[in-house]
Amino acid sequence: MSRCRDGIRTVLRRALKVPWRFNRRWWVRRTCVCSVCQVPVLEGKSVQQTVDMLHRQLEQLGAMKQGSFWVDCETYHTTGTASGQPSKLLYVMHNSEAPLSCTALFEGGPCLMADGNFDVLMVKLKSHFQNAKGHKVESRGARYRYCDFLVKLGTVTMNSSARGISVEVEYCACVVPGDCWNLIKEFIQSFLGPNVPELPSVFATKAEGLFVPADAVDTMTQYLELFGKVRKQQVLQGASVR
Amino acid sequence: MADIVNVGMNLDAFSQAINAIQALRSSVTRVFDSLKDGMKNKETLEVREKGFISEFQDNLQAVNRDVNELERLSTLVGRPSESHPLHNSGLLSLDPVQDKTPLYSQLLQAYKWSNKLQFHAGLASSLLNQQSLKRSANQMGASAKRRPKVQPSTLVLPPQYVDDVISRIGRMFPEMTIELFRPNGTSAVLLVTLGKVLKAIVVMRSLFIDRTIVRGFHEDVYSEDGKLDIWSKSNYQVFQKVTDHATTALLHYQLPQMPDVVVRSFMTWLRSYIKLFQTPCQRCGKFLQEGLPPTWRDFRTLEAFHDTCRQ
Repeated sequence: MSRCRDGIRTVLRRALKVPWRFNRRWWVRRTCVCSVCQVPVLEGKSVQQTVDMLHRQLEQLGAMKQGSFWVDCETYHTTGTASGQPSKLLYVMHNSEAPLSCTALFEGGPCLMADGNFDVLMVKLKSHFQNAKGHKVESRGARYRYCDFLVKLGTVTMNSSARGISVEVEYCACVVPGDCWNLIKEFIQSFLGPNVPELPSVFATKAEGLFVPADAVDTMTQYLELFGKVRKQQVLQGASVR
Repeated sequence: MADIVNVGMNLDAFSQAINAIQALRSSVTRVFDSLKDGMKNKETLEVREKGFISEFQDNLQAVNRDVNELERLSTLVGRPSESHPLHNSGLLSLDPVQDKTPLYSQLLQAYKWSNKLQFHAGLASSLLNQQSLKRSANQMGASAKRRPKVQPSTLVLPPQYVDDVISRIGRMFPEMTIELFRPNGTSAVLLVTLGKVLKAIVVMRSLFIDRTIVRGFHEDVYSEDGKLDIWSKSNYQVFQKVTDHATTALLHYQLPQMPDVVVRSFMTWLRSYIKLFQTPCQRCGKFLQEGLPPTWRDFRTLEAFHDTCRQ
């Protein structure tokens, strides 16, 4: 069974230019340690200008541009629940690193990795989950490789307006976040300067501690947190305007 | 050399001396012949005795004369020299047809080489005794770099013994799991998993480590057909670097008489990579240099250094 799926996957991977990491045993979904953080927009500069500056800094460091990436997130409300229960949110996310899959994260609850046609299933479940149309957030940008580091520098857009900058730094050679966090921190410092993020809470709050291998859901959880922050910012900005 | 020349000049004396020896021999023979024949048949006993005695005296005088002659000639010939470095083989230089039989020059050449060989062998053995745990010594230049030939007797250790040694080493290091495979015949292939950091494939020949390759913890060590993949290198630069260093370590730890000690030292060294991503460089204090963590481990102290910081 798995071999057969692998064969089909390999064909699709070639057709869609899926990264090599998902070549073999894609269903194991082991991934490397990665940290997603938001970069504040420099004062007096636009989002685009700040992104350009970061591009320059990465290139000066010796990083090689390697294609582009995108991560998006759609929000669904639960409907038709028993009366008295507050409606919950379900986030369905896609990542260009795994273009054939999608991740569904239930607010404060379980999460799952599914095949791409999970989206179709969501349409069928319209009576239970309703798509919140204006809430689609996505981050798009360039992907850089520097030795064993993978840097994804994206512009976070909401309703097609740029809201912030996301930086994902992935250290591909290591699977244990507690092992290589200092290393990642030093690397981020080398191009972001002093505003280095703290250890992502997904790793810190794991029951098994820092020394269990990271997985793909950790990355998506971090993006979700970042998108949540960006949304809140917008609400705050909206409030201050009023 | 001067003696040889003298001998060459006294060749006449030589031939005279040889003649004198022959004369001496014949005169001595005559003495014994006359003694053997006894008294000749003469008229009276008196005459017989007189004749015999005078003949015997004559013969003895001839012997005496010949001995004197030989002694005289022998002073002319001179003694063959014993102080020549090549002893009697030095006389080969007397051969007048050098072009056809260049024995003497070849002999000198061979002598020079054997002297040199002995000298270098002496040096090498003293060096190797000093550094018995290493396969090479950087500071010693080209002469010590060559890998000593492995004794054939240690290549045919029974597989059971190899299993024992490996399992003992495995018990020594709890954070290291060692699996042993024998994919082709008796040669063992070890799959060493070090914590959650790396996996190393160690190809053994009896108890000698032949080749090693290091990959990331989450990289595949099996090829598509389910066999252990001992050839393809890691996708990550850091593990490619560690593979290079591990190969250096193989050449460094060497003790042909005790191969199990070598395997143990190598595993001890490999174990120091358990903190590959956690230890900063002992020289510059940083984690990263050119995007790589400190990949070098000192062979003696096991301290972590960047590849460029270690000198």
